[in-house]
Amino acid sequence: MSKKPDTSIKRRDFLRAAGLGGAAGAAAMATGIGSAAAATPDRAADGGYRETAHVKKYYETARF
Amino acid sequence: MTESGSLAAQAIPEEDALRAHYYWFLGRLLAAPADDSVLAIASDLSGDDTELGQALGALSKVANALSPGDVKEEYHELFIGLGRGELLPFASYYLTGFLHEKPLAKLRADMGERGIARADDIKEPEDHIAALCEMMAGQIRGDFGAPVDLYDQRDFFAAHLASWAGRFFEDLEAAESARFYMPVGTIGRIFMKIETTAFEMVN
Repeated sequence: MSKKPDTSIKRRDFLRAAGLGGAAGAAAMATGIGSAAAATPDRAADGGYRETAHVKKYYETARF
Repeated sequence: MTESGSLAAQAIPEEDALRAHYYWFLGRLLAAPADDSVLAIASDLSGDDTELGQALGALSKVANALSPGDVKEEYHELFIGLGRGELLPFASYYLTGFLHEKPLAKLRADMGERGIARADDIKEPEDHIAALCEMMAGQIRGDFGAPVDLYDQRDFFAAHLASWAGRFFEDLEAAESARFYMPVGTIGRIFMKIETTAFEMVN
């Protein structure tokens, strides 16, 4: 399962050339990232839209 | 799997952090009408001369031109409507013509194995494009446990996004009601192509 170094470099260079890092203001795109488990519901009055993320980590509970 | 979860981001390569940002942003744009904070972010974007960069510029331009009310109405027409919107952004719909089909069942099984759960108050099926983008972002970053390696990311992408997401984003670009969400479609379409090509380099 080890990645060949030259494959990783090729992929990294491709992603950079494709423009992933080329956006000014793009750091703000990540606002709220990683807070999926902590988000609280915020329903708009008319449509039921919510600010919560769609997914969260699944916690397995202990079984006896 | 029973960790309480750390808020600190786990160290991942820069290019993968950027991928996660794009997935996360697309998820936010598609989960609900763009609110003031999302519009502010969109308005401040500017891109380089790549196709992706140009699409960001187009989004920024339209974000500056439209009001939050316009955008909310547009989202309604595209995705909510009366009963249904112009588009149904679900894997099951794109792959079978119906909602709640095998693609959703497959996804749920995969989510179970990967330690991903649907948030408690979300009523839509999990095979919504916004949820899938969120799942990719979370797996890249390690929000559901350790960061998922590129092979497993590729498998998830191949199983749940590759066969339909590009078409959805094209439909969004072409949708009659789309003004703000048209460049969202462009960004999504280009990003899906980038992901597909980049995953081909994983072996």
